[in-house]
Amino acid sequence: MKRLFFAVLTIMCSTAAHAEKIKAPIHIGIGVAQTSNVALFGEEQVNGAKVAEAVFNAKGGINGTHFKLVYQDTGGDEAGAINAFQNLINRDKVVGIVGPTLSQQAFSADPIANRAKVPVLAPSNTAKGIPQIGEYIGRVSAPIAFIAPFAVKYALQENPKIKKVAILYAQNDAYSTSETGTFQESVKKQGLEIVTTQKFQTTDSDFTTQVTAVLGAKVDLAVISGLAADGGNLVKQLRQMGYKGLIVGGNGFNTANVFPVCGKYCEDLIVAQAYSPAVVDTNPVNKEFVTEFRKKHKKDPPQFAAQAFTAVQIYVEALKKVEANTKNKITQLDLATVRTELNKAIRTGSYRTPLGEISLDKEGEINQKSFYVSRIKMEPNGKSGKFLNVK
Amino acid sequence: MAEFLNNYGFLIVTVVQQALLGMSLYYPLSAGQLSLASPGFYALGGYIAAIIGTAELFAPWRDLLGKAVFPLEWIIAGVASALLSLVIGLPALRLRGIYLALATIAFVQIVRVISLNLSITGGAIGIFGIPQLFESRWGYIWIFGPLLAATLLFTWRLEQGRIGRAFRAIREDELAAEAMGINPTRYKAQAFIIGGTLAGVVGAMSAPFLNTWNARQGTFDASIAYLAYVLIGGTRSLWGALLGAALLATLPEILRPLNDSRLIINGMVLVIVSIYLPQGIVGALARLRGAGKKKGVPAGGKT
Repeated sequence: MKRLFFAVLTIMCSTAAHAEKIKAPIHIGIGVAQTSNVALFGEEQVNGAKVAEAVFNAKGGINGTHFKLVYQDTGGDEAGAINAFQNLINRDKVVGIVGPTLSQQAFSADPIANRAKVPVLAPSNTAKGIPQIGEYIGRVSAPIAFIAPFAVKYALQENPKIKKVAILYAQNDAYSTSETGTFQESVKKQGLEIVTTQKFQTTDSDFTTQVTAVLGAKVDLAVISGLAADGGNLVKQLRQMGYKGLIVGGNGFNTANVFPVCGKYCEDLIVAQAYSPAVVDTNPVNKEFVTEFRKKHKKDPPQFAAQAFTAVQIYVEALKKVEANTKNKITQLDLATVRTELNKAIRTGSYRTPLGEISLDKEGEINQKSFYVSRIKMEPNGKSGKFLNVK
Repeated sequence: MAEFLNNYGFLIVTVVQQALLGMSLYYPLSAGQLSLASPGFYALGGYIAAIIGTAELFAPWRDLLGKAVFPLEWIIAGVASALLSLVIGLPALRLRGIYLALATIAFVQIVRVISLNLSITGGAIGIFGIPQLFESRWGYIWIFGPLLAATLLFTWRLEQGRIGRAFRAIREDELAAEAMGINPTRYKAQAFIIGGTLAGVVGAMSAPFLNTWNARQGTFDASIAYLAYVLIGGTRSLWGALLGAALLATLPEILRPLNDSRLIINGMVLVIVSIYLPQGIVGALARLRGAGKKKGVPAGGKT
């Protein structure tokens, strides 16, 4: 009986949603971590999204209709992500969602959005299986498999004599554990030998055990998958204890936050990048993004900000396509139709974004063409530095 | 109404789920044992449900049983947690006070590190795409609700009887209880096993509820959160865990419109409650209702 009652309620609710017209400004949801220990990344995403909001609204939004970003904090856990998504879907009536920050949170909250038929664009979920959660789930963050091999190839160009390799990774971090798998594959493919594999935790600060093992193995190349704080400390301690060979850092190092951690020891670190703020001459969208971001934050945009910007940009351009396809203004359509049409539109055509030219395939997986490898160049004071593009 | 359930159904079920986890800490506490092991069993139960729900190995079970595989998951998780808590409880309960707390924290860490390193638990990413028992999040009230009702009834009966009296006697003075012929090890182990089993079953129910399961579910932070439910709610009453969980799980969501400042206010509420209501909310309510009653809360809680 109660089940029946609930079924009736759901039907009532869904018919209510059908009848709902969209009011200007159009709501786009940002559900990322603004609190907890993941907030470091979440804040960068918020910064990137805010720049996108300003830039695209200044250009007239969606054919003259402005849009508004609605923020709901997911915190760092799974339940928080579900709560934030439900608020965005039911209360804020967003046409689509950018988020969440962590892949684990995506596995928890994305099925909710998918069942509610609300498009989701993940700005930073790189784990295997994210677009496969459902037809409404896509991502603008390239899975690690594409990025890692470039850095290893570059290291071999620098020093063709490399034979022995040490692999280090943060085993409690989902991103780092997937990334190290790709690194290990590409190292083996290059005919190199992995002589030691060391694990650490993102919360560690003392890496004596790992460094001793690396030094004992007499390697020519160390490949590290970790996040800025732990990875930076590991690099510093490797150098302090006398490691002379090359170091390749994973995508977790692609942030200016790493400079204060390893200081002058960051020098010459090779970093694999899915985004580079240095590529402005050939990419006008990135130039505009970098200029606006610098104006506001007095620094180069990090990768997380660029990916969040890209996600918002895709929504804006796809909403324009929806208007073209339906020959209607978004504000004349009802919410459920816009969500479904928007999801289809996202997956057609390509986009010129700060990440270069990208497109999403039918499943929602990103096709990204340009990846970069950089070396870190530190200022003489050892406090700030730069990523210099080498490829 | 439908709008309300769509939006807050998940939160309401979360409150019930967290209350159950608070209860799992309440049993050892009612026998005077400060055990923080619940998240370990919660994680174990969740992994059992997630693995049975997704692994290739169990596909024939799922085809054969259909939705009946869910109750089976709960039973297996409960039995596994009971056995594990027996194995861990007997040696660990020889420790007292803060040493027992430390040992149980170590247990939670061990479970976490093991699940990070096994391939069957999916490493750091965990297990995802767990089959669903209900379409909407609110539907899960039909399993968590009855479990909470049954747990409250069970606890109430337990506290009326011989076992409950033995728990209280050990809590007030273990030596005196032993002198009166109560076997403290046996009762302490019982309390520990009841708590562990409950946490395991809740974990098994939670894996489909959260859609995914990973090593971040059973952490030291979770231990502290559950302990806070019981402490804020009141350690001397079975309603304490329920009230504490209701307050602590809903507060950040109710304060959501405040954005950035919500966690500050959340923290302030915690500090104020623990300063002004040292007996917890239930203790304060009991005092308000007339402190004259003999069965009221004795002054100066031991825990």
